[in-house]
Amino acid sequence: MSEQTILEVKNLFKNYGSKGFQTNVLKGLNFSIHKHDFIAVMGPSGSGKTTLLNILSTIDKPTQGAIFLDGKDLTKLKNKELSKIRKDKIGFIFQDYNLLDTMTLQDNIALPLSLNGISSEECIKKVDQLAQVFGLKEHLKKYPYQLSGGQKQRGATCRALITKPEIIFADEPTGALDSKSSHDLLECLKHANDCKEATILMVTHDTFSASYAKEVYILSDGVIKCKLTKGQNRKEFYDRIIDMQASMGSDFS
Amino acid sequence: MSMMKLVLQNFKSSFKSYLSLILSLSFTTMILTNFINLVDSKVLDPLGESQSQNIEIVIQALAVVIACFMLFFIWYATNVFLTKRKKEIGTYVFLGLSNQKIGQIYMLETSLIGGVSLIFGIVFGILTSQLFTMILVKLSDIAIEIKFKFTISSVLITCMIFGIIYLIFVIKGYINIVRSSVLEMVSANKQNEYVKQNAIVLLLKTILGVFFLSDGFYLATKEAGIEVMGNVVIATVMVIIGIYMLFGGLIPFIFQRLVQNKRFLYKKERNLWMNSMIFRMKKNYRTYAMVCVLMLCSVTALGFGFAMKDRSDQINHFENTYTYQIMAKEKGARQAFTSLIEKKNEIQYSSEVEIAVIPNEYTDNRYENTPYTLLSYSDVKRIAKETGLPFGYKEPKDNEFIELTRLYLMSFEDERTKTVHTISQTAFTSTEKTNVPYLGYMQEQMECMIVNDQVYQKLKPLAQCMYFYNFKLANANNFEQSVEDIQSSSQCDGLVKIDPRRNENAWLHILFSVSFFVFLVFIFASGSILFMKIYNDAFEEKERYCVLSKIGVDRKIQSRAIAKELKVAYAIPLLVMTISSFFSLKALANVMQVPSLLPINIWSILISYGFFGLCYLGSKGIYQKNIGL
Repeated sequence: MSEQTILEVKNLFKNYGSKGFQTNVLKGLNFSIHKHDFIAVMGPSGSGKTTLLNILSTIDKPTQGAIFLDGKDLTKLKNKELSKIRKDKIGFIFQDYNLLDTMTLQDNIALPLSLNGISSEECIKKVDQLAQVFGLKEHLKKYPYQLSGGQKQRGATCRALITKPEIIFADEPTGALDSKSSHDLLECLKHANDCKEATILMVTHDTFSASYAKEVYILSDGVIKCKLTKGQNRKEFYDRIIDMQASMGSDFS
Repeated sequence: MSMMKLVLQNFKSSFKSYLSLILSLSFTTMILTNFINLVDSKVLDPLGESQSQNIEIVIQALAVVIACFMLFFIWYATNVFLTKRKKEIGTYVFLGLSNQKIGQIYMLETSLIGGVSLIFGIVFGILTSQLFTMILVKLSDIAIEIKFKFTISSVLITCMIFGIIYLIFVIKGYINIVRSSVLEMVSANKQNEYVKQNAIVLLLKTILGVFFLSDGFYLATKEAGIEVMGNVVIATVMVIIGIYMLFGGLIPFIFQRLVQNKRFLYKKERNLWMNSMIFRMKKNYRTYAMVCVLMLCSVTALGFGFAMKDRSDQINHFENTYTYQIMAKEKGARQAFTSLIEKKNEIQYSSEVEIAVIPNEYTDNRYENTPYTLLSYSDVKRIAKETGLPFGYKEPKDNEFIELTRLYLMSFEDERTKTVHTISQTAFTSTEKTNVPYLGYMQEQMECMIVNDQVYQKLKPLAQCMYFYNFKLANANNFEQSVEDIQSSSQCDGLVKIDPRRNENAWLHILFSVSFFVFLVFIFASGSILFMKIYNDAFEEKERYCVLSKIGVDRKIQSRAIAKELKVAYAIPLLVMTISSFFSLKALANVMQVPSLLPINIWSILISYGFFGLCYLGSKGIYQKNIGL
């Protein structure tokens, strides 16, 4: 973990509701994410996982606290700058893929690049490279409705990776996938992370998915209850997460 | 009772989204009411029986055109409404409602929209009837006193036409719903299946479309004598089919090709808007084609109106070449008449001409009342000099002549076939045709042959000769003052006096204004159809733009993509319309026997560009608002 810090969260609070009827969802979180980390955030429903992800990905604003991405405090930036940050520094993977059904997979993956004004040759080359890695080479000409859920999610991952963002936020990426597709996708994410291509923060309630990460943060009642670090073996890591869940007495699914 | 409540609630919530539909239906109804009222209320009777009859025929014909258009428009509108509502009220299936009940809800809702449009249309029709007549009279530049009159019968006729058309389509929708399966109801509005079309089919459609269009254009502009009328009807059908095929074939084909070329596609927002354009093309091409046809109709109507006005001004000018035309049996009375007129009036110019009327027994003329009339070449040349009219014809050879005709409003004569007249066994072939008013008003009444002087002298003994003494007054409005003096002369056998203020051609001017209203109806309808289409598309696109926002695409970029997509959506029908209108006005120019209506064509196109420019800005704003940008 000696590498450069990408994201730093300091004393992060988030409340919902008006005075007197407030719910405190996040209660003073502190952590940092370094380059080439792969972190999974787990926790029972209502623990604040999605709120945290929304705030980190600049879709939502915190009540208090600071988030530094690349040295800039996201909570102090204006909408225009935030949109630039979203475009250049952050990649998103959603549970429901969010591919545009109007265009082919190839066009979908190329979209962020072409919108950024990158030359078309460069776009085509990069899409090809990524599609090769993610096993989508034969599917590039297909439209989303012609693809399986797993292929769509891998396509969405390619789209998130293509601009080489500083960090990728994945919101339950395997939530809608069967176990085989989940496995394929997670292998791809792991591969991208291992090849030092991506830094990933993934929110999941699925222990199997979380076991692909290098670190697992367990969130409960708005605070990080514990952090687990992967050893050498994914299976052993999986068992440890299960044990931790059992000891906390709750099921995350 | 609860069903009625539901219907009212639905109506209220969807009112805004169908506002443009209601407005254009109301507008069409309003114009129809006004047209019918114009005929019914006899406002134009002061123009004289024959003229007001002419106008009534024209307006009735146009009322039929508008009624036909109404049929088409209501058909389209109820169809759009059906697909849209089917899904929404289709979910009532899950509440246990039968198809019949849902059909009834649909019928009530649609009737409510129709009813509101009809009421709006008629109320506005009544309110604007005087204004309408005033604008009509003003635009037509005719002088009659307008009395405000509104007849109940015009309201009833409009209600009946609208009601019957509307009822047919509402019942059609009801039957459609009753026959629908549950699955159809729930998925009626979904369109997640991609609509990429087979390239060969598209190519085939393109070829057919181009064939139909070019054939239509050819037929419309071909010289074909009296067959022109039939040709124009066939051409219209062919052009409409051609336009549909073009929008169903060529345009998706081009776009699909372009999108396949990734080097072209991956340039900024192009990836986004071109893909979404193609995505909706299969569903939208009929709308684009229809809008294009309507645009074409509107521009043609406007062009027709302008051309008619222009021609009627020309005819007016033609007839006013001389203030007096005195017929006499004797030669050399010009000086006598000049001094008679100069007692009270100043003469601007005058001319004198001898005409030789050949009795039909010496000719091949089949028309009893219009014998061949000869003029000598040098006489006409002299008239031109005296009156300042243009003259540039070569002297005809011995067996040739120049046709001197009136100014036709429309003519189906075939320009390619040469007229041949036979006089005392000699055949004369027409070499040229001219409608310069050397003989002024009299030229309207007869057709003359200009022959060379030798031939004229040779044929003169067969003919009955007459002399015209033509005078143009410096102040033509004073024409009454010299009438008595002229008629007092024993040499005067007949006098034609032209009142410059008379409005014998007023009905032509009204034709212009009426065409202008038809133009408004069509352009308003095409604009509102396109507007409505884009409005509905925006709702479907909402989700997609939401995704774009989520993945960090700048709002500005999204706006730019929308702007480009809409620009193309407006530009394509406009482009096809522009090209087609050139041919439709060319056809009109042929029938009117004028070399070109290009300036009129350009004006009408520019006016419609202006209108659609405004529509574009409006729909861009609404689009962005609807998808929350």
